[in-house]
Amino acid sequence: MALGELERAVMGQLWAAPGPLTVREVHDRLERELAYTTVMTVLGRLAKKGVVRQERDGKAYRYAAASTREQLTASLMLDALGDVGDDRTAALVAFVDRVGPEEAATLRAALQTGPSTAPATEMPEMPQVPQPRVDGDERAPDS
Amino acid sequence: MASVWLAVLALVLAGPVPSALARARWPARVPRAAIVLWQAVALAAVLAAVGSALAAPEELLRALGPEQRTGTPLLIAVAVAATIAGLIVLRLAAVLVLLGVRTRRRRARHRDMVDLLDRAERSATVGSPGARAVLRVLDGAVPFAYCVPGRAPRVVVTEAALDTLAPEELRAVLAHEQAHLDARHDLVRESFVALHQAFPVLVRSRQARDAVGLLLEMLADDAARTRSSDTAMAGALEAFVVTGDTEIAARLERVRTLRCGDRRLATGIYLAAAAVVVVPTVAVVIPWLSAALPAAGLQ
Repeated sequence: MALGELERAVMGQLWAAPGPLTVREVHDRLERELAYTTVMTVLGRLAKKGVVRQERDGKAYRYAAASTREQLTASLMLDALGDVGDDRTAALVAFVDRVGPEEAATLRAALQTGPSTAPATEMPEMPQVPQPRVDGDERAPDS
Repeated sequence: MASVWLAVLALVLAGPVPSALARARWPARVPRAAIVLWQAVALAAVLAAVGSALAAPEELLRALGPEQRTGTPLLIAVAVAATIAGLIVLRLAAVLVLLGVRTRRRRARHRDMVDLLDRAERSATVGSPGARAVLRVLDGAVPFAYCVPGRAPRVVVTEAALDTLAPEELRAVLAHEQAHLDARHDLVRESFVALHQAFPVLVRSRQARDAVGLLLEMLADDAARTRSSDTAMAGALEAFVVTGDTEIAARLERVRTLRCGDRRLATGIYLAAAAVVVVPTVAVVIPWLSAALPAAGLQ
């Protein structure tokens, strides 16, 4: 199975779970012929991407989604809309450049109060766009 | 006089010309040619600014008199000119590189997340929008479609969009996104964003950036119209329109009333674009060089 598909399946389990899971629990819930180490690798990759949090629980590690599915979706859409980060990056070419203020507000609300199926309370990692700066551009290494 | 003329030209190309272009109505009829003209104006403005910086010290020196023309003053003049011109070019290059790195990092991240959030069961039913691009479906109540350009491009639509759009309209939307990806519209857009970031005041390229952005959408609309139909494209746009969004409204109006292409107008615009770049060079820069080089004893 492709790695991307596996990552998505693992995230699906973490989002569906009532609390943080151990590698063994994720492995069992996936109901597929997979090596334990494969699941561990995938969880490691997801943690590196910042979408999964790793918590120490006695001897074992437990894994949880860093943000809810709804939060991540909302932040992704705001990122696509260029609603965050001003224009420090060239926008993703969007079919609809702007949604109305109402829709944007809905998305922002979803970002803050997504139903907390995961125990995460902090803001989701996405979108990890460069910090907005004013046009002074003091970081440009030219002058 | 060359430096003065070039400075005036740079200012005109940075101010009144973009304003007039942004207000004009004809670009909607020939979006591709209009984008080329925008690019030519931007390029000519930067070239004129650089040229003006290069010519100014030398001309000042030449005006002083023959005895001051050689030796150290000339060297200083050349150094000053090269520094100013170099700064302009460097600034633009630095912004381009920085912007490119940031944009690619952000896109890679975005692509990762879209892959994680994909509703695979929905995207499988729609199928792939093109040869290279992979379709991803996000859940969400806002009808929404966009593409993530790059080496592994993605076309993203929300479930709300899938539910709202008729099959033919969805085909038009996917063709629109595919057109963006195939023609690398993101690179055109990126260059104008860079220009805006590098010279926010000097070059009034917010206008340029926004106008070119809209023209790129129109270009993709036209590609989608030829691959599906005018009615399908109009229907798709209607599904996305929100009150107060003048841009979508303009595109919808255009799809409804305008037929694609106006070859004669387009040819005229291409010629104008070429002239904007070539004429200043021939009329100002060459005469200056032919005066300056003998004066410096280089010919």
